[in-house]
Amino acid sequence: MPSDLSSFLIQLFSGLSRAMMLFLVASGLSLIFGVMNILNFAHASLWLLGGYVTFSLYQAFSIGFGQHGFLLIPAILLGTVCMFGIGWLIERVLIRRTYAYELPEQLLLTFAMILIIGDLIKLIWGVQNRRIFLPIEPIEAFGGFINPYLFIVIGCGFGIAAALWFFLHRTRYGKIVRAAVHSREMVSALGIRIPAIYAGVYAMGVAIAAFSAGVFLPIMPIGLGLDMDLIVQCFAVVVIGGFGSILGTFVASLIVGILYSFSVLIWPGGALAIIFLILVTVLIIRPWGLFGTEMRF
Amino acid sequence: MPVETKPVALSNETEKNSCIAALHARAGLSGPVIAALGLFSLVVPLLPGEFPTIVGVEILILSLFAGSFNLIYGYMGQMSFGQGAFFGLGAYATALLCRWYQAGSTDIGYMQFFLALLLAIPVSALGALVVGFFLVRLTGIYFSILSMAFGELLFYIVFSWYSFTGGDDGIQGIYPPALLRDPHYYYYFTLAIVAVATFLLWRISRSPFGYTLRMLRDNQRRTAFVGVNIRWAMLLNFVLAGTFAGVAGALWGPFQRSVSPTLLGWMQSGSPVFMTLIGGADFFAGPFVGALIYTVLNAYVTRFTVFWPLTIGTIILIIVLFFPGGILSIIDGRLSRNRGSRDS
Amino acid sequence: MRKRILQVTGLDKSFGGLHATRNLNFELFEGDLNAIIGPNGAGKSTFFNLLTGYHRPDSGTVLFDGVDITNRPPHQITRIGISRAFQVSNIFPKMTVFENVRSAVQAQMGMAFNVFGNAAKIGNDRTAHLLSLCGLGEKSPNIAGALSQGDKKKLELTLALAGNPKLLLLDEPTAGMSLKETRETMGLVDRLNEKHNITILFTEHDLSVVFNHARNITLLHHGEIIIQGAPDQVRSNETAQNIYFGEHY
Repeated sequence: MPSDLSSFLIQLFSGLSRAMMLFLVASGLSLIFGVMNILNFAHASLWLLGGYVTFSLYQAFSIGFGQHGFLLIPAILLGTVCMFGIGWLIERVLIRRTYAYELPEQLLLTFAMILIIGDLIKLIWGVQNRRIFLPIEPIEAFGGFINPYLFIVIGCGFGIAAALWFFLHRTRYGKIVRAAVHSREMVSALGIRIPAIYAGVYAMGVAIAAFSAGVFLPIMPIGLGLDMDLIVQCFAVVVIGGFGSILGTFVASLIVGILYSFSVLIWPGGALAIIFLILVTVLIIRPWGLFGTEMRF
Repeated sequence: MPVETKPVALSNETEKNSCIAALHARAGLSGPVIAALGLFSLVVPLLPGEFPTIVGVEILILSLFAGSFNLIYGYMGQMSFGQGAFFGLGAYATALLCRWYQAGSTDIGYMQFFLALLLAIPVSALGALVVGFFLVRLTGIYFSILSMAFGELLFYIVFSWYSFTGGDDGIQGIYPPALLRDPHYYYYFTLAIVAVATFLLWRISRSPFGYTLRMLRDNQRRTAFVGVNIRWAMLLNFVLAGTFAGVAGALWGPFQRSVSPTLLGWMQSGSPVFMTLIGGADFFAGPFVGALIYTVLNAYVTRFTVFWPLTIGTIILIIVLFFPGGILSIIDGRLSRNRGSRDS
Repeated sequence: MRKRILQVTGLDKSFGGLHATRNLNFELFEGDLNAIIGPNGAGKSTFFNLLTGYHRPDSGTVLFDGVDITNRPPHQITRIGISRAFQVSNIFPKMTVFENVRSAVQAQMGMAFNVFGNAAKIGNDRTAHLLSLCGLGEKSPNIAGALSQGDKKKLELTLALAGNPKLLLLDEPTAGMSLKETRETMGLVDRLNEKHNITILFTEHDLSVVFNHARNITLLHHGEIIIQGAPDQVRSNETAQNIYFGEHY
């Protein structure tokens, strides 16, 4: 019988890992919106697609080189690269055409992409859930059992968060992206061609999402419909944190992820309601989010 | 903010035409076409086989659903991704009362059935009032996100409240009274209700309130500064739209003999959006034409393939990219591609 | 003694520690045609925003026609009788000019929530009258968004008039207008004031317009009133010259 403390810690870690996934998907969503004012409804669908691509790559590697858990690493990396390319293509071919449109029509484009991507997944991978089994034994810790892979997931989350922060604050390209979130006119005035960074930002957002889907494959089976659950939660995260603010997204992911995981203990099914309550409160009181800057519309 | 789309300066000739068109808030279809469609709708059940009648009922119900959505989108200028919630609330209200009256049998009296249908009105209106109370504080992207989130929340409530709603299984075995079990009679019954509702929508669209909605679409700040309480106006409209959606939903359950939580789901919320886009949001007739095309296409395509979402998604993509005004604006020709002079 | 129509006392508003207006005391009498001037960022727009309920003051009160309207929302203040024309024209771009004004007229008639009336048959006479008054009669059937800058400003003014105001606030009514349009518009402003007995307060960059039309001028600087008086007084005041004219000439 695990003690209260141990079940608390185990929930905490599961909450942290969930928060990491939320952050990885939502940060791309937030950046894309911040930079180009496009709300990418299909973001979670691309996340899901990334998961399936990684799954197939892992399978292909296993057939080629024999069953081995570490093959997941190249599968994830290659899957991320693939999705970067797909994201790039989507921005170039579809999204780019809608920048001059009014908001509702922009929303429709990415909304239609949910349908298309969902059905393409069904067409290629069928309807059954997919997951990767890694030969990892749960270890005894804190008086209970915990899957050590959770720590890898959490580590990856913090790692990407740090890398993203470094990229945005310490590299030239990242600084341009941040400046574009702040004021597009200013960046254009500096002689930087804004459209040139759009495809990059979109592809990067998609790639980060795909990466997180790959990392989660061993602990969470993926299946059709998951994208809709995730996108709603990501919207909650992004709105709570504030569009375009990576720090806000990070904090909001922690809040939502951990609350989600603990509410399962106390009130199963109440998780969504709690997240929702926070979302509504924030939207009504501070529509620009906890860390966003106020925009008058 | 994204690049502001500037209304294209029109040549003198077209300017004159479009102005006259805008002055007389456009229906999108000419009188003779409407008359022909009306006549055709009367003879649909006479077509051979049950299939046209069944599709006809679906078209009628869904066009009312889409018409309700366009109050929010085409007229008020906000994109709601949660309209399915009110369709579903209406459907469940009727279905639950029907089940209660039926008490395990398949029998239900006419009065009881009509009462069950009527119940959809207060239930969906109340639902829209509660959701709208929060929603009308927001506009643009935030409105869309919160409408979607509310839709998902209501979906989960219905989905997980097993003892009351039957959860995932939904409610089976809802029957209309004897005569209406024949799809042909149900068709005429639905036609009558949808015709009345459409007439009401038409009146609303041309009323002073309809113009208040257009003001809200064009410029919220100015609307407040001509003396309109914009929150109340948005709320009233949201409740009206939710109620019409609820009426459409009420008609759905007894026809399908069942309701399920997917009626509140995001796909259901998406369908009026798609229909309106296909038909053309700038026209009163847009959502109705869109519902016709969407439903016929759906009935036809799903005979050959299970990949309906892929099909409709691709169609939407093409329309958004190449025909952003919808079918009616292509027919309308002279105004297509000119967002500056949408029906006002 | 003329009736005092607007009385502002101790109006304070700051944004994040920056004072936009500081302890403003201000009054208008019925029939006034006065102007507020001041360099950019002097607090003119904020002052209008506070009067019309777009911003809430941190402290102070606004009395209009004897009624306390501090903290009332814009739509109520409009209905009480203060209309406003914005600096950047704020119109309904996708409707025709006629529909723009007719909808505003219907709102003024309290019909904004009328669901079953026929909009095309309500308030047409008053709409046509207002449009011809403002020189937009011929533009009635045009789409508002496609008007020239000058015509948009005229429509902006017409929309404000549709509210049947006792007090009209005009934020730079001639900005972006040609010389001819400026003359027309200010002529209209004079007529509205004299013939239609509307009290008018306006801001303006063009000082020749201000000195030719305003009877009383208030100079704002850093949210405070520097001097208030007849055009000649303001023109000859040394502080005013330093603050205002120094920056512009």
